Amino acid sequence: MTHEVLIIGGGLLGCAAAWHLARAGLAPRLIEARGINAGASGQNAGSLHFQIERRFLEPGASGQGADIVRLNRLAIEEWAGLEEQLSRPLDIHMHGGLMLAESEADLALLASKVARENELGLPTQLLSGAEARDLVPRLAPHVCGAAWLAREGHANPRILADAFAHAARASGAVIETDSRLLDLHRDGHGWQATIEQAGQISTARARHVILATGHWTARIAARMGLNIPLYLAPLMMSVTDRTAPFLPYLIQHVGKRLSMKQTDDGNMVIGGGWASAPQRMADGMPDLDAPPHLVPDNLRANLAVAASVLPCLRGRSLIRSWTGMTCISADQLPVVGQVPAAPGLYIAAGGSMFTLGPLLARMLARSIIERAMPEEIALFSAARFAHLNAFVVPS
Amino acid sequence: MIDIAIIGGGPAGQAAARQTLGAGLSTTMIDEQARPGGQILRQPPAAFAVKGWMAGRLYRPLRRLLAQTEADIRLDWRGGTSVAGIERIEDHFRLTLSGAHGGTLLARRVLIAAGCYDMPVAMPGWTLPGVMSAGAVQTLLKSQQVVAGQPIVLLGSHPLLLVLATQLLDAGAEVAAVLMPQTYGRMARAVLPYLAGAIFTPGPLIAAGAAMARLRRAGVPMMMGARPIGFTGDGRLEAVDYAWRGQVQRIAAQAAAVSYGFLPQSDLPRQIGAAVRWARPAGGWETVCDGAMRSSIPGLYVAGETTGVAGADAAMAEGEIAGIAMALDAGVRPPSGMARAQARRARLQPFIDLLRAAADPGEVWPQATPETLLCRCEDISVAQVEATMAQLSPMADASAVKHRCRIGMGLCQGRSCEHALVRRIAAARGCDPDAVTPFRMRFPARPIPIDEIIG
Repeated sequence: MTHEVLIIGGGLLGCAAAWHLARAGLAPRLIEARGINAGASGQNAGSLHFQIERRFLEPGASGQGADIVRLNRLAIEEWAGLEEQLSRPLDIHMHGGLMLAESEADLALLASKVARENELGLPTQLLSGAEARDLVPRLAPHVCGAAWLAREGHANPRILADAFAHAARASGAVIETDSRLLDLHRDGHGWQATIEQAGQISTARARHVILATGHWTARIAARMGLNIPLYLAPLMMSVTDRTAPFLPYLIQHVGKRLSMKQTDDGNMVIGGGWASAPQRMADGMPDLDAPPHLVPDNLRANLAVAASVLPCLRGRSLIRSWTGMTCISADQLPVVGQVPAAPGLYIAAGGSMFTLGPLLARMLARSIIERAMPEEIALFSAARFAHLNAFVVPS
Repeated sequence: MIDIAIIGGGPAGQAAARQTLGAGLSTTMIDEQARPGGQILRQPPAAFAVKGWMAGRLYRPLRRLLAQTEADIRLDWRGGTSVAGIERIEDHFRLTLSGAHGGTLLARRVLIAAGCYDMPVAMPGWTLPGVMSAGAVQTLLKSQQVVAGQPIVLLGSHPLLLVLATQLLDAGAEVAAVLMPQTYGRMARAVLPYLAGAIFTPGPLIAAGAAMARLRRAGVPMMMGARPIGFTGDGRLEAVDYAWRGQVQRIAAQAAAVSYGFLPQSDLPRQIGAAVRWARPAGGWETVCDGAMRSSIPGLYVAGETTGVAGADAAMAEGEIAGIAMALDAGVRPPSGMARAQARRARLQPFIDLLRAAADPGEVWPQATPETLLCRCEDISVAQVEATMAQLSPMADASAVKHRCRIGMGLCQGRSCEHALVRRIAAARGCDPDAVTPFRMRFPARPIPIDEIIG
């Protein structure tokens, strides 16, 4: 059987792409090796961060980082319309976000960041420490400034992919869980996939294939002889016991790794890009299927950064720390769209895929429906790494 | 770096320490209680003299072991301390501790002898104040000399209720009734195949018989075949409902002690990835081990209820085996021989099988209603869990259900409700609970104050 589109991966990106394609009448088929939302889509900390992230400001980061603002502006509108489009509550809160400064050096970085964002049309505002404490009275007295963006916030990563999957099915998509991709190769003008479900092996043909496979993407591509510059980013997050609501905003830090928010249920979720340690296979390569190990020093450091700006956290208890894996591209920007060396094969990965996922899924779907990459995301095209496949004969 | 870390100061941990200390290995024992003893010999505070404490004949070997442990100055005892995390790093382990002796501990070998805990059973009204686990009622009695409330009703399928009833009577409490859902006939049929073997360890059987006689003399109704239905009361327990000969009956009570069995403490073995399997008969996850109590993780040993609920005598025997194995594996000579210790453990098996058969809640499980809370930390009802399961693929694991409705996401991280969820998933799928992937156990095994982590 030949499908117009076969989507590999039932996370946020795959389910959202399935919905957009199904609404356009393309009846996509989605296969997921485990369950819907079982990977990074459901394990991330749920930040909607639209300011330029700290990782783009770290020493050695590419100067192109500010380009992300172009995507972030579109993502703000995407998130603002999601609950209405999907006709269900999704715990999306866009009440604002603060990126904090604790030192003069932080303040200088923050000021240049805000200037660059404003140039690019993102209405970030620089606040004094006192103004930040007006918004969050419990911020530490030494917090000396903040960048405020009124439409940042957070959403519930545990329910979003389900909502897309539900809507996709209702529009005619076929979604199969516990279905693992064993092999994918070019076949005439399309692709042939070998799929294992409950011990049964079958093949499927498709004109277009979307690899919505998160941190597995580079390895799946490598098996097909394709080089995609995506690198493993094993992370950790933590959650505290519940407390009465006091923090409606997303908190980040310009000088240290931190993201922090309070959920609807009152728990504090703390993360911000602290590394965990992947389990290793016999040959030393990271095991992409096993949960990474917590790194105790990083946990301590992460919580210390959080409590430094929000001292009331010292009175809370940690109830769970967890780990998950995502991936980051060579220039930290998302890698989106058709892989030039493999016509009909589409990818989207490489960083901030919760915040950007709904937008990039729509853009991927448009790439297929319109047979052309939408201009808005041209900067992030997989084509910018086409040179890596100059000497590759795709299998 | 120490040679041996023993997690749990109950009979298993103490017996293991005799061997490792005797073999000259540096040994640290960590326990959440201030003093050693475990749950079976839950000690009163040191400043609290209790005359005739745990005087029963059955407790005698346990008391002797406890006295040896407390007198042994070679043992590095760290009470009032939880093990929140366990990791394997190259050829040793790192434990993250919380409480009186916080910090980290590096050890070449680790024994997890963390015991078991009362299985919470979700039935109507089970979260009312006054409804307690039998173990909690017993702990109050043993350690604080406090009766949880009276009149008190004891209910459930586990024969521990008989022991507890006599202990409550000894403390002068008014015991209103003991309600056990198994009929005499069913229990007799269940235990019959094991009776011949168990005759070699007659102590507990004689004790059970004596307990029943004691209840009879005290005029406490001991009702076999009375099936508990639920608890009622306005803001706190006022009465227990049960079915008796086809009729719903109500009995007034200020306290209720519930026991349908015990769940092995498996947070730490699961956190480090040791192999576990579904425990019988009550459920939960017991850690898999070989005949020398070695888990599937090299250097990690398990003993006692962590490997399956079998009682204090078995725990003591298994702790001795684990201690001998740790010494031998470390290349030193333990005071006792392995073969004799293993034979001692083997002799107990028929009685353990008998007790498990007698206590099996299999057919007499109390029924929850749609409104009954399964997860009492996050207030998630049976109806919410069922609705979530209905929206998922039948193959969905426990975590998939958790992520969508918050069951198991609270302070206890599923210690209370996971077993019930796994059972429901298995029933819906028509499979064995062993085939259901449970929650992923993560750091910390107990909530830790953030202040303590940061330091």
